[in-house]
Amino acid sequence: MHQTKTHAFEPKIVAFVCTWCTYAGADLAGTSRLQYPANTRVVKFPCTGRIDPVFILRAFQKGADGVLVSGCHPGDCHYMAGNFHARRRFAAFRALLDFIGVDLQRLQFSWVSAAEGGKWVEVATELTERVRQMGPMREFKELESEEQWSGVIDTPELKEAYNAI
Amino acid sequence: MTNTAQTIDLSLYAAVTEAVQAEARKVLEAGIVAAVVGWQAGRRKGTALPAIVTDPAKAKELIFSPACVNNLALYLTKAKKEIRAKGKIAIVAKGCDLKALVGLMGENQLKREDIHIIGVVCPGVQGANADRAQPLSETTIAGKCRECTVHTPEGADVTVGTLPQLPHFTPAESEELARLEAMTPAERWGFWKEHFSRCIRCYACRQVCPFCYCEQCLCDRNRPQAVESTPRPAGNMAWHIVRAMHLAGRCAGCAECERACPMDIPLNLLNRKMAKELKELYGFEAGFEVKEKGPLAQYREDDDQSFIK
Repeated sequence: MHQTKTHAFEPKIVAFVCTWCTYAGADLAGTSRLQYPANTRVVKFPCTGRIDPVFILRAFQKGADGVLVSGCHPGDCHYMAGNFHARRRFAAFRALLDFIGVDLQRLQFSWVSAAEGGKWVEVATELTERVRQMGPMREFKELESEEQWSGVIDTPELKEAYNAI
Repeated sequence: MTNTAQTIDLSLYAAVTEAVQAEARKVLEAGIVAAVVGWQAGRRKGTALPAIVTDPAKAKELIFSPACVNNLALYLTKAKKEIRAKGKIAIVAKGCDLKALVGLMGENQLKREDIHIIGVVCPGVQGANADRAQPLSETTIAGKCRECTVHTPEGADVTVGTLPQLPHFTPAESEELARLEAMTPAERWGFWKEHFSRCIRCYACRQVCPFCYCEQCLCDRNRPQAVESTPRPAGNMAWHIVRAMHLAGRCAGCAECERACPMDIPLNLLNRKMAKELKELYGFEAGFEVKEKGPLAQYREDDDQSFIK
């Protein structure tokens, strides 16, 4: 007989990481054979200072349910101050996203050094589990699928102009 | 108590007009500047448009009225290279325009010694959809002017006019901001989604902004394409987020983006929100003092990082 299949929701997590600390930290987690959910897609950057807020936006638009941004601890940046600049930028960007109406629970920032394989596992697991609880990120995907200009023309001037034609 | 019958006395504008004309004639005749950027009367009654005067005899065409809404700082940015090429330029600036000029100086787009600023005391200008025949009152004044804190510009080469007693207007934008902040994220998403879905991507907000002077905009690049350029809802949302993010800590609050928007998207709410956040986070506020670096171009080691795990 016909059997309905139910998909378990598997969150897609995009992790933007800095090559000098977090990438090495995640690598360490791997070589140490630490187990963590396989939901994380890692994208490597030279520095957190290189991560433009538009990348995060793009990740959400293209189907990410959660985004993790991770770099060196303050003071450990390979380029001296990249993460300090990133910290301010992300603080502002978080405020903006919150004001637009994005749930900030889906966006996690962290400092993970090359020696912190365990912390990487902890951060990645926590975000994955949190997003799993929250369910899929629908807002941006729904926008993405709306092809039509959906503005509602309801100003009195426009109506009047339309009626006059 | 709000009283919509309160109007702003228009006599100041006439006095300022005379003073601006006199100052423009003086600096042009003395050869201090090559051109004056100001406003002249539009062809329809009660309108004004930006004007660039190079002839002292034509200085009498300059005006200042509640219709002088444009932020003239735009004419001194990279976007209008031909004007700067004329030499030293005098510019008529309201308080909000002067903040934009100061911001541009902070970003090394302008040198203070290259411009002669004629600051004008401004009680307010008309809103984008106001009836030009009506007096300037709570219903016709621009939203930004209802809670303006910079009626009298500071640090201009010459400041003309004296501020009259102004009626008290309710701060509409701040109230709207507070209303939005009190909403749930889902309600806010709905609010912005509805507004942004109207966007026709004419980029008027970008063209009119003195701070959008990049030679190539991130949003015009298509290889790789970061933000979709067709007016689809997803791209619109991304464009407005990118715009607000790029203006965070730079925006002078002249609200030209909102005025120029043909679809009446409340863009200045976003700018106001970001200005508020950056003031709370880093104590930065756009003002009349040239600051070497904006809040997102600098850092302190003890910045808040409570949101970072």
